[in-house]
Amino acid sequence: MLQGTLDLLILRTLLWGPTHGHAIAKTIERNSAAVLQVEQGSLYPALHRLIKRGLISFETGTSENNRRAKYYRLTPKGRRRLHVETTKWDKLAGAIARILRPAEEKVD
Amino acid sequence: MSRRKKMLGELDDDVRQHIEIETRENIESGMTPEEAHYAALRKFGNPALVKEQVRDVWGWTWLERFLQDLRFGWRQLRRSPGFTVVAVLSLALGIGANSTIFSVIDALLYRPLPYEHPGRLVVIWATEPGHPDQNEAPPIAESVDWSKQNDVFEKIGLTSFNSTEPAAGLGAPQLIESQAVTPAFFDVLGVKPILGRVFLAQEAQDRAQTVVISDRFWKSHFNRDPKVLGKSFRISGVVSTIVGVMPPGFAPFYGQPTDLWEPINPQSARYSKRIDHWLMPVARLKAGVTLQQAQAEMNVIPRRLARAYPATNKGVGKRLVPLQKELFGETRGPLYMLLGAVGFVLLIACVNVANLLQSRTEGRRKEYALRASLGAGRKRLVQQLLVESGLLAMLAGAFGVLLTFAGIRVFLALAEGFPLADRITVNGPVLEFTLAVSILTVLLFGLAPALRASSPNLDRALREGERRTAAGSRGVARHGLVICEVALAMVLLVGAGLMINTMLHLQRVDPGFDPNDVLAMAVNLPEGRKYVERVPGGDWEKWHPAVNVFHQQLLERVAALPGVESAGFVSGVPTRWADHGSFSVVGQPPPSPDHRPQTAYTEASPGYFRTMRIPLIKGRYLDERDTESTPWVIDVSEAFVRRYFPNQDPIGKAILMRYGGYEVDEVRPREIVGVVGDVKQFGLGGPPTPFLYTSYFQQPVALIGGRIADHLRGDLVVRTTTNLHAEEPELVAAAKKIVAGLDPDLPVTGVTSLNQVMEDSIGDYRFLMQLLGIFASMALLLAVIGIYGVISYFVADRTHEIGIRVALGAQRADVLRLIARLGLTLSSLGVAIGLGLAFGLTRLIAGALFGVKPADPVTYAAVAVSLMAVAFLASYIPAHRATTVDPMVALRHE
Repeated sequence: MLQGTLDLLILRTLLWGPTHGHAIAKTIERNSAAVLQVEQGSLYPALHRLIKRGLISFETGTSENNRRAKYYRLTPKGRRRLHVETTKWDKLAGAIARILRPAEEKVD
Repeated sequence: MSRRKKMLGELDDDVRQHIEIETRENIESGMTPEEAHYAALRKFGNPALVKEQVRDVWGWTWLERFLQDLRFGWRQLRRSPGFTVVAVLSLALGIGANSTIFSVIDALLYRPLPYEHPGRLVVIWATEPGHPDQNEAPPIAESVDWSKQNDVFEKIGLTSFNSTEPAAGLGAPQLIESQAVTPAFFDVLGVKPILGRVFLAQEAQDRAQTVVISDRFWKSHFNRDPKVLGKSFRISGVVSTIVGVMPPGFAPFYGQPTDLWEPINPQSARYSKRIDHWLMPVARLKAGVTLQQAQAEMNVIPRRLARAYPATNKGVGKRLVPLQKELFGETRGPLYMLLGAVGFVLLIACVNVANLLQSRTEGRRKEYALRASLGAGRKRLVQQLLVESGLLAMLAGAFGVLLTFAGIRVFLALAEGFPLADRITVNGPVLEFTLAVSILTVLLFGLAPALRASSPNLDRALREGERRTAAGSRGVARHGLVICEVALAMVLLVGAGLMINTMLHLQRVDPGFDPNDVLAMAVNLPEGRKYVERVPGGDWEKWHPAVNVFHQQLLERVAALPGVESAGFVSGVPTRWADHGSFSVVGQPPPSPDHRPQTAYTEASPGYFRTMRIPLIKGRYLDERDTESTPWVIDVSEAFVRRYFPNQDPIGKAILMRYGGYEVDEVRPREIVGVVGDVKQFGLGGPPTPFLYTSYFQQPVALIGGRIADHLRGDLVVRTTTNLHAEEPELVAAAKKIVAGLDPDLPVTGVTSLNQVMEDSIGDYRFLMQLLGIFASMALLLAVIGIYGVISYFVADRTHEIGIRVALGAQRADVLRLIARLGLTLSSLGVAIGLGLAFGLTRLIAGALFGVKPADPVTYAAVAVSLMAVAFLASYIPAHRATTVDPMVALRHE
């Protein structure tokens, strides 16, 4: 999977509020309907990359079963970036779709 | 940094927690705890890799990794001390040899001379008409004209070479090393005295003179007494008063210790005839003036001088040479040749270590494969191996620096009296060079094995048994390296062999006399009042009858000593010194000034020929009957006859001699009374040249310029009746006593045997032979280690196969043949390539060879055979070990 894609998915997931690493992984799995199979571990380099770039931040909170855990949250900068990237992505997806659809119609 | 640390510190917890949560969820969905855990791990991927990737995100990892690799590399090297020691020492040997030669090159060719703005110092030589490529010293007085007429030089000073003079008034009679300079000389170099002053513009040597002494002389003779100024003593009989002391280390230009400087005034009437050329002019260019501009100016001034002084300056040109180039330019060729030789040694060392390293990487293939499968990238593996190689090279470089210190001492010990010896040190540029060479070696020996070790098909190595059959391409590379090694060693051995051959030829040269059992010592009469008198108004000097008395009595008394067969006196013993001059034949039309017949000559006493056993070919030797009042006679050499009287009887012909560089004929003709054998007066390697001998007792009373010194100085030669051992202390003491009895102020120096003189005369050849010999031995040693290593590896690699062969009935001889064949194949290929290389490269030392051609077949054959023999021995030992393999053990092995 493309690195940028995973970053985008993480940002997208955090749009609903701060959450911890495992939950992010689960959400991505669920939302992409298991189409995008990710080794869960690869989530962490991506999270750290986003923290370094200031797109997300984290705080230490308590998880469901009273364990200390990191909660990752979107920063304003991350929110803006998500907006820009989503727009770009939509445009790109639209373009691809327009290219592919006539071909599909022909085959059909 | 702290943020990074915090982020990474909590990473372990994060990962563990992630896996725990996943495990719990798995359990909740009905798995057993064990299943759940493994499923979680599978889903997470490789935690180590994840952590590494996260570390990557936070940067700084190259340093961290580097340190990690360094620690790891160090552990690896310590784990196999044998490998490490051999590799480090091989490389250190190569690096040390290179740095040693480089330190010499740096000292002579690159490091600026220790004077102010040394790049602006040039030497001004004269070129005679018809000989535009020969540098001659211009007349002393000319420097005054240049100073007035040019606008490219800031200052011009003149200096002589060092000369040895007797000094009196400093305790026992002794010799001092003096240099004659014009007052401007010190200013030209920009060196100021540490005490007193240098010479004033008009100061010059005469009845009395001022002198400037060196720091060394100040210390040894005056214990650095600050009240030394104004003290006086006699040098060559001239009263000399100290006016200044130069700083420590000041010794222009050859690094020889100079005791003091005497003044010469180029404006004095003495040099007005413009016929004395015995000083080297050194000028300082004005700031911003280039050598070309100055040369252009010095192309114009000589034309003006030629018009003003047609007798001495017609057609004479001037050539400017940068001082450093003048002093050491000639050493460039030989030094770079030596650098090439040590470069070969280093290459061999690198090849060796590359081979060792490769054997090691083969052995560690499983380790690399394992690491690669655990997620280590190829780049990472290469980097780690290069760091390990770098560590090796740096260790070797450090040892190499130590070896350089030793190497410089060996070099200077072999090259006695090497110029600027104290400038040859391990300094900044030498260390930089060593570092650069060390880094180069890493690239040479480390890169290939590193790339190979990380090659993609590593997984094969993980499979058992793979090692035994995959020798293929790796073996070829390894064998190629050994071939290279042998070829390089071959080149150096041929070079050393040619030099050894040269020495053998030189030692077999007939010098034209019998140097056995002859003692030589220098007895130089001073130019002081006791023996010499200046003729006023000109450059002529008269010697007193005391000179003849001294020589006659000395010879008579020494010849009468017990154990002495005969004694003689000569201006200079062969290979040390001779005069040059030209002549015209009496009764023939005078030769044109440009084509006067040239000859070298010495003055000799009657006993000289018998003492030296120079064979008489025709006529008679000079003898006791030839005195001032009888007709003046000479003996000439066979080469002289061949050149100037071919197919004629020279006996009875008379010549008028002219001292080299002067335009005045001798007054009395000299008649040829004998022809004697050719003597190698200019070195054993030189061709026989025209030579003649005049008698000590038939010399003009008044002599011109420096000519008087040649009459006063000379070597006493004494043939002993018994075998001459060492320096014969009793005989020397007796001779010294005789000299002291004749003149108590006179020192006797340079006591030696003529055999030693002959040995010394081929010192340069011997020096080159020894250096090439050392380098070739190093190359051979390293090549032997290389061959031994590769054959050993071959044997270890085939233990299994050999076991099977033996089990199937192979004999010891078969096994030996199998292995020895490999050794011989490799070494003969190496020798073949080496022959070709040597053939091309030994041309570079053609100039240093004597009696042997660069492509001497005997040398090549001898070296090839010995190299093969050594290579065979190096492969025999591991081969022999292979024959002792117990088939049961070999087959059971893995």
